[in-house]
Amino acid sequence: MTRQIHLWAFLQGIGHYPSGWRHAGADPAGVFSMDYYRQVGELCERGKFDAIVYGDQLQSRGAGGRTPERLAMPTLDPISLLAAIGSVTHHIGLVATVSTTYNAPLDLAERFATLDRITGGRAGWNIVTTAHPASAPNFGDPDLPEKSQRYARAAETVAAACKLWDNPGSAVKFRGQFLELDETLSTMPLPQGRPVLVQAGQSGDGRDFAAHTAEAIFCPAATIDAGIAFRTDMRSRIAAVGRDPDGVRIMPGLSFILAPSEAEAVAKDEALLALANEALCIEYLCESLVFDLTPYDPAGPIPVTDIVAGTLLPPQDIARTVQPPADEGLSLGAFAARYVRTPRGHNVFRGTPRQLADQMIEWIDAGACDGFTLQPAYMPGELALFVDEVVPLLQQAGRLRTAYPGSTLRATLGLSQ
Amino acid sequence: MSRPFILSAGLADSRLGDPDWAAAALALAEQAWFDLIVLGGPGAVPFDPLVLAAWAMPLTSGIGVIACVPTPLSHPFHVARALSAIDFLGAGRSGWCPLPGGAPDGKCEDMIAAARSLWDGWQPDTLIIDKASGHYLDSSKVRASNHQGPFFRVAGPLNAMRPPQGHPLLIVDSDDPFAAADADIALVREPGPVAAQQRLLKTPIAANPAELGRLFDAGEIDGVHFEIVNPAAEFPELAQLLAPLVTPRAPPATLRERLSIPAPAQQQERAA
Repeated sequence: MTRQIHLWAFLQGIGHYPSGWRHAGADPAGVFSMDYYRQVGELCERGKFDAIVYGDQLQSRGAGGRTPERLAMPTLDPISLLAAIGSVTHHIGLVATVSTTYNAPLDLAERFATLDRITGGRAGWNIVTTAHPASAPNFGDPDLPEKSQRYARAAETVAAACKLWDNPGSAVKFRGQFLELDETLSTMPLPQGRPVLVQAGQSGDGRDFAAHTAEAIFCPAATIDAGIAFRTDMRSRIAAVGRDPDGVRIMPGLSFILAPSEAEAVAKDEALLALANEALCIEYLCESLVFDLTPYDPAGPIPVTDIVAGTLLPPQDIARTVQPPADEGLSLGAFAARYVRTPRGHNVFRGTPRQLADQMIEWIDAGACDGFTLQPAYMPGELALFVDEVVPLLQQAGRLRTAYPGSTLRATLGLSQ
Repeated sequence: MSRPFILSAGLADSRLGDPDWAAAALALAEQAWFDLIVLGGPGAVPFDPLVLAAWAMPLTSGIGVIACVPTPLSHPFHVARALSAIDFLGAGRSGWCPLPGGAPDGKCEDMIAAARSLWDGWQPDTLIIDKASGHYLDSSKVRASNHQGPFFRVAGPLNAMRPPQGHPLLIVDSDDPFAAADADIALVREPGPVAAQQRLLKTPIAANPAELGRLFDAGEIDGVHFEIVNPAAEFPELAQLLAPLVTPRAPPATLRERLSIPAPAQQQERAA
């Protein structure tokens, strides 16, 4: 049988492009109403997607105490949004991003248990450790725990939560380096036993953690070769810890700009980027560097020394981002405008629906992935275009299901229960 | 406008985890003209009420959905954020009933204060969302709450907007009360004055409508609260029994509008 394509929709905010909310096909006020989530849920089920994934952060957008005025804000709580989508849909999986650093295991386990029960077994947990330094003060800490400590705690949190899910209604004792609990989960069993465990770490720590725990992995892959390299590496890490690599779905991000011809798609992309005016680009760069650049003249040089001294992120990482464009002699505004064009290292496709379907099949057949985590440039217009134009092509090619195989997310992903 | 006789139902049955059972219970509550569903209760929270409340919103159209929030496991950043989403999903029909649940004295009150300061970090007119000019919001209307309480230190701002109701309805249950003086509704075992705008008398299903009407007319209570264990039988029975007390409600609006309970002023306005 030809390899089947799994599709996820990554739907935090109003689209992948920082300027996406300004597009005519975007509905930025919609994210505050149930009608929008009903529409999105129905759209994803019409496209026979596996799941909707909501990313998450535990800090408001901004830098240096300043809230941006030109970036779409804010992000609502993912489990709440997914629970509401779950009550108006029947098949779509519901994957929520939840931090292991800032949640008590029982609270986290109870939230996912309720989500899984009330949706008939459609819950997934995108496990994150929280990497943004501005999250810590929202939980009473001046700084994040160091990265390897966060991953060690994450492993314990996942183990404790799994023990709770495996024993609903029974007292569960867990003792680790970070966590000690003697608690009882509510009694009703979970339809899936446990939510599907999803992970997105890129570093060595993150990949090892995913190899041990993840049933699906979300990652950036800018090229087919990068996808093959990542999937090959992950499959060998998964096998090395005694798990079956075929029991893990690898789902790189895919942002796309669709139009009837390639030239029109490129023009559409340029128009979308043009909606990112200088002030928006600067705010986006501020957020990415975690440093407030708004007091600086956009026509002036990139203030490398101030940025590296003032950022809350690791200074050497930030120096690697800002020094090369400064050496090129780019102004701050020109650097910000360039930075907006490469959103977060994910693959951006510009072309026709036929070209996109062909590319997706090429990636699957080359072993670059098991499917794609779609990141529409703006919402809901670009996602609707995908469902209307690309989904039928994938189905005609025999690469995408025309009906759901079962009722739980694990069944949809083709994973064992 | 005449004062509404408020009907509230507590549901704390673990069968609420079954979507068919839960959807039927919600529909029966709306058909019986109830104003509030309280998910969970003191000593009985066999599911996560915030998740259930979000799930319930698209299945209901007028009823207020109240999530019990046990203090021991909860953090105000997560709670404030979830309630913001739930209030948007229900177009202003959410509320919460914080339960101390054996947590140290003052922790529940601190959680409430921290959540309120996070909601107040966003003024109601923060969003502009003007595609043409590219202005999404007015950052002068956003502030970090910097809550410093005995149990919680929360910098803010919250990454969720101020809820449509300003603050979701705050309910205190007298069987596991917190000490905040300005709850919107109190669920009480005895009629009479309490530190809340409205008092709902906890009443057995076999209620006496004439007596309840007398207490309501005397201003001793503002409505009743029932613990429901058999929705299919009890909601229709209560609808019939209480029909003389219940006046037609205005078309769907926020819960505060439906119950004539104004939102609290924002903290910066209070300070001004």
